[in-house]
Amino acid sequence: MIAQSAMQQLEQALGKEKLVTAKEDLLVLGYDSTPGLHATPDLVVYPTSTDDVVKVVEVARDHNLPLTPRGSATGLSGGSIPINGGIVICLNKMNRILEIDEENLTATCEPGVVTLDLFNAVAEKGLFYPPDPGSQKISTLAGNVMEDAGGLRGLKYGVTRDYVMALACVLADGSLIATGGKSVKDVAGYAFKDLLIGSEGTLGIITEITVKLIPPPQTKQTFLAYFDNIRTAGEAVSKIIAAKIIPSTMEIMDKATINCVEDYVGIGLPRQMAALLLIEVDGHPAVVAEEAEALKEILEQVGAAEVHQAKDAQDAMKLAEARRTALSALARVSPTTLLEDATVPRSKLADTFTLIEQLTEKYQLTVGTFGHAGDGNLHPTVLCDERNEDEMKRAHAFYDELYEQVLAWGGTVSGEHGIGIAKKGYLAKQIGPGGVAVMRRVKSAFDPQGIMNPGKIFVSEQE
Amino acid sequence: MSDQQPLGNFTELDAPTYEDVLQCMRCGFCLPTCPTFALTGRERSSPRGRVALARAVAEGKLDFNQAMKDEAFFCLDCRACTTACPSGVKAGEVMEVCRAQVHQQLPAPKWQGTLRNLVLKRMVPNPALMETSMLPARLYQKLGIQWLVRNSKILKLGPTWIDKAEGMLPELHRPLRPQLPDISPAKGEKRGTVAFFLGCVMTLLYPEVSRQTVKVLNHQGFDVITPKEQKCCGAPHLTEGDRETTREIAAFNLDLFLDLDIDAIVTDCAGCGAALKEYEEILAERKDLERLRLFHEKIKDISEFLCEQGIRTEALKQVDKSVTYHEPCHLCHAQGISKQPRELIQAIPGVEFREMKEASWCCGSAATFSLKFTDASQEILDRKLENVRQTGAEILVTGNPGCHLQLAWGLQQAQMPQPVLHITELLGLATPD
Repeated sequence: MIAQSAMQQLEQALGKEKLVTAKEDLLVLGYDSTPGLHATPDLVVYPTSTDDVVKVVEVARDHNLPLTPRGSATGLSGGSIPINGGIVICLNKMNRILEIDEENLTATCEPGVVTLDLFNAVAEKGLFYPPDPGSQKISTLAGNVMEDAGGLRGLKYGVTRDYVMALACVLADGSLIATGGKSVKDVAGYAFKDLLIGSEGTLGIITEITVKLIPPPQTKQTFLAYFDNIRTAGEAVSKIIAAKIIPSTMEIMDKATINCVEDYVGIGLPRQMAALLLIEVDGHPAVVAEEAEALKEILEQVGAAEVHQAKDAQDAMKLAEARRTALSALARVSPTTLLEDATVPRSKLADTFTLIEQLTEKYQLTVGTFGHAGDGNLHPTVLCDERNEDEMKRAHAFYDELYEQVLAWGGTVSGEHGIGIAKKGYLAKQIGPGGVAVMRRVKSAFDPQGIMNPGKIFVSEQE
Repeated sequence: MSDQQPLGNFTELDAPTYEDVLQCMRCGFCLPTCPTFALTGRERSSPRGRVALARAVAEGKLDFNQAMKDEAFFCLDCRACTTACPSGVKAGEVMEVCRAQVHQQLPAPKWQGTLRNLVLKRMVPNPALMETSMLPARLYQKLGIQWLVRNSKILKLGPTWIDKAEGMLPELHRPLRPQLPDISPAKGEKRGTVAFFLGCVMTLLYPEVSRQTVKVLNHQGFDVITPKEQKCCGAPHLTEGDRETTREIAAFNLDLFLDLDIDAIVTDCAGCGAALKEYEEILAERKDLERLRLFHEKIKDISEFLCEQGIRTEALKQVDKSVTYHEPCHLCHAQGISKQPRELIQAIPGVEFREMKEASWCCGSAATFSLKFTDASQEILDRKLENVRQTGAEILVTGNPGCHLQLAWGLQQAQMPQPVLHITELLGLATPD
């Protein structure tokens, strides 16, 4: 519960219309897209300026209240869920694109700008903002930065981190920090900017973001390759990379996913195939032509069952659409969809597929796997029903065993979704007690009171 | 959607099932498609938020309270979220069912309930009574009282919705149902026989539009049978939460139309089409499943039907106009009919088709929403009008009487030049008499 005095202070500082206290509103502001997680905040605020954010942080500081930042709550690890109650600070209404700087190729935005809105705004000026997480139509930029979101273009263009040039944040004591800038090079002191990216709201609250823009690729070619064996698809990925070809997109779908997609959209995908790869190369027309030829050759050598090349842009779009419906199609099959984010060095991709098949069999589950094969980033998705306790137990055992091996191969427990609440245990295994201890010390340097999004990433000492 | 055991704080009759709400994985893909979320930025007024509230009721964490009532009726039921949802959640339908809960759990004052029952249970299911009830409105226009009322600005004194409702009223003609012959014969080479499902709003407010529908169907080679006994499709009852009356009407219409020897049942009202296609679900526990399937198969929106059959263009006249198209929610989202109207428009010789931005974004009409929430409805409408304006098209085409009323009124208020035409009116212009 929040003290009456804290409430009054906030009302005075922000005005009543920016506070939300009705039970029905609070009830729907304590979830994100992570299955099974929900908490109810005591109060929600909608600041409209940096000044507002500072005032909220000051009240939280003075009253020692947990403060959880939230954008559109599309996260997949529980980052924006207020597990300790307190205040949720919704940044959606700070959603202006402040500047598109065509001389420096940067854009400066408020935290609540929707990812796709930024993409479209810069595209109008002939520029390109590549990070394209699955939820780009509604996800916010600050959410992307705090979770270091990836997307389909990660292989060639990188992830959100690679585009952040500067951040302005409010820290837990109410002070402002500005880190980075429009300079391409910047080695002045500790790289706070890089520490804040992916910090899941545990170190500060973003109030302004400057991102790098690039010129868009002139042309692209799209391929669809089918495989009789998923291992072969994994090998194809490794071979393509080894041949020094970096496609802009290299996505995989397994048999279960292919069949679900086909049930859903009916575009004639081959149901009997074990896997398919969707590959896109882009850039200068001459380079694209060269890479396309090499790509076809490799796919043939490896033993792809069929290779199809998109005839035109429309054809290419149809193929990309098929991939984009993967999660959709899987999600329709069962009430609960557990989506994971295991990532391995690309040379281990084929082994990972074999392991997933074995574990699916062992734990008697329905699993569809798709993901960013080129990044070694897979989304093995368990289709289950949260009311079935036994099935949920088996699903968690499946992931436990999978992650154990992924870590043994030098992989990571999260490629792009973050740790949040859901994967604290896995992270501890990945970085060990020493790693967790350092993270705790960093956290307390920024936030000695522990009010910033407590309970996320690692288990706190009190827990 | 009803279960044997009451689900949480829902009552037994006409409640969502637990599966309906559990299916939501809260990915948020619905958020950018929801007009009421765009308007308010409020999570509980989004499809994801509404389903979460319904889930809380189902899990006994929330009473079916005033907030549930507010959201059930604030939802436009435009179904844009259904189209956008990856996991097949039907938030609009969940809210529609919740409207039935409102009447069970939070009944209105007695006089309102009596009035509601009079209109929904007695008047709307009775076509003759509906036609008679329109007589005063026609006299009102014919005798010049409308002119007097509008010029005296007397309506400005009452609630906003009365003024708007009066302003929306199109020029009224005699209802079409009694006028149409039982069979209107095909012209040229006959291609089949269809039954015409003539919606209440079409026959009462847009009789001349539906006359064009029959003309176009005849010209395209179809005999058109119009069963005079047909009743309202039941959509008004669904949207007002009276599902029982819908079931009674639906059962009647189903038997009436299935007894005819016809190739299809055609309607020119997107709202009716959507409701008729839902009979299969609404009557699932009352009627033979095979008959329900058969009925569902035969229901066709006019543009869906003409595209399936292939439109004969050789005798069509030139229409040298630029045309843009607004997608009725109950056509594109509820029935998945999106390409067909555009194909028809482009098939007319001389027509230049101009796509508008956000063509499938609701116009803010949404049954009685435009009168209950006049301000919100206006904001949604303004967004639509701006998109129409940007096309610079000479004609705005749509396919549903609700949208038609709202758009025609909005264009007039904004002093924009475009007339609103139903798709069969546009086809009618190209069709020789």
